[in-house]
Amino acid sequence: MRRLLPLLLLAPLLTACLPQRRDAPLVGELTDLSPSEARGRVVYMANCQQCHPGGAEGLGPALNDKPLPHLAIRAQVRAGLGAMPAFDASEISDADLAALADYVVRLRRHGVGGP
Amino acid sequence: MKPARSPHPGRSLAAAVLSGLLLTSCYSLLPSNGGGQTTPRALRLIRPADVAVPAGYRVEAVATGLNFPTAVAFDDAGRPHVLEAGYSYGEVFTVPRLLRVEQGGTRTEIARGERPPWNGLDYANGTFYVGEGGEVGGGRIVKISPDGKVTPLVENLPSLGDHHTNRPVVRNGYVYFGQGTATNSAVVGPDNADYGWLKRHPTFHDTPCADVTLAGRNFESDNPLTPAGDRVTTGAFLPFGTPSRAGQVVRGALPCGGSVMRVPEGGGRLELVAWGFRNPFGLAFAPDGTLYVADNSYDERGSRPVYGAGDPLWKVTPGTWYGWPDFHAGRLLSDADHFRAPGKPAPGQVLARAPGTPPKPAALLGVHSSSNGIDFGRAAFGHAGEAFVAQFGDLAPGVGKILGPVGYKVVRVNVSDGRIEDFAVNRGPENGPASKIGGGGFERPVDVRFTPAGDALYVVDFGVMTTTEKGQIPQPNTGVLWRISREGTR
Repeated sequence: MRRLLPLLLLAPLLTACLPQRRDAPLVGELTDLSPSEARGRVVYMANCQQCHPGGAEGLGPALNDKPLPHLAIRAQVRAGLGAMPAFDASEISDADLAALADYVVRLRRHGVGGP
Repeated sequence: MKPARSPHPGRSLAAAVLSGLLLTSCYSLLPSNGGGQTTPRALRLIRPADVAVPAGYRVEAVATGLNFPTAVAFDDAGRPHVLEAGYSYGEVFTVPRLLRVEQGGTRTEIARGERPPWNGLDYANGTFYVGEGGEVGGGRIVKISPDGKVTPLVENLPSLGDHHTNRPVVRNGYVYFGQGTATNSAVVGPDNADYGWLKRHPTFHDTPCADVTLAGRNFESDNPLTPAGDRVTTGAFLPFGTPSRAGQVVRGALPCGGSVMRVPEGGGRLELVAWGFRNPFGLAFAPDGTLYVADNSYDERGSRPVYGAGDPLWKVTPGTWYGWPDFHAGRLLSDADHFRAPGKPAPGQVLARAPGTPPKPAALLGVHSSSNGIDFGRAAFGHAGEAFVAQFGDLAPGVGKILGPVGYKVVRVNVSDGRIEDFAVNRGPENGPASKIGGGGFERPVDVRFTPAGDALYVVDFGVMTTTEKGQIPQPNTGVLWRISREGTR
């Protein structure tokens, strides 16, 4: 519990009032993905893309500017938050969830400093 | 020294979670307007350099000043022809026209119609085929000869409502076309009065393609047809103000809404291909001969609002039911955690029994992106076998609130794994139409079509359409036909 509490506090702080990057510049698709990131991209496209197209703002907030730790990403997908629904293990398995978090972390770096 | 343990760890946890939720609510303080919520400049600026495309491609404007253009196709000589719709949401009626775009951007009128909107266009065997929306008079598929003679091929299509008769595509002697539903989610409501048609056709409603059994779920709403402001109760697949009962059977018929149908090129019996779509606007055959449909999904509006429904790109298997009005992308709408609009009731199910098991889509595009015209890339252009999709962009706030503009671009989709990538987007610090973010790029891409040689992509840009709580405000004569080609080609 003592290890969990700082994470619970940290995640919302990091996700809360940061400036929003509304879209990514056209820098092309992500390449050289690890096997896990590639798997995560498929999971993202099936479950997350519709609300966060390309990691950018849409129905939901942008994801491409949030320095969320891996654990917080997984926790938010499982629990949902506000208007965001929860995705249980029947929808996204634990292995796919780990891959999804890998992809979201990688997506965050994509396009930074791009044209 | 050992740190003291909290005597009430549960309280600490609750406080942490509560503070987290409070802090995360900062999202709601951010501006959250759709792309149409803006005040455009009086004259549309057109600057191809403001559209970003991948390295090795270039953009040019082929024709400007078009009046609500919705589709493009090419004749045997490879000359582009565009449709002007003659109608736009916002209840603006003009004249539907088929125009040939000449070198230099001038236009020659080939034909004009009487039942707008003209939504989709194909050319085959010396004939143009038009999806005639029929907001007034009902939908038709019409044939147009090169000298401009208009002949109906299919008539009396159920197009008096929200969604119309859409793009025809000709394949193996048949004309395939999409037919939209009357309503957002099968229940006629006050939103249909806002769209204009409920007062024109107060008994119009959705028609299923096969018999359906209702669950008896009813929806109460204001009555915009009477000045008294009374309340009425309406069931699914029934006229406004008509309640349903559990076990009630609504007979299927052909033609029907939310479907893909086909008819022989020379005329003949209408056939159902597949149904359970909401508004199958974009149709195209992939290089392997498979039919794909871009389907505009549910809005958060009316008596049965649905939240968070992205636009599916479907691989069409003939005879399949695709889920409307009780499923989205293969998932039941009664899963309210996913589809319940904030502060509104869950949509639930209106059918007692599903007519089938809907599949998962080939890809799921942005919620309210209005993913419309599609075509498939070929080797001469690059990205062979991928679907290119024109995204008209959101109509927020009328379709629901969003945190940022969605669509207003052309994306490409790998239909084998559902991967979606931007292909042509407006430059700028944020996404949106040029009228909102500045510059002279895309407003509302509504159709894409490759040239017969497959070496260039034409993008039909409907023009400026702003949005308010009271509806859409389209700007006439602001449409553009864009061309994207490989560097070094002509």
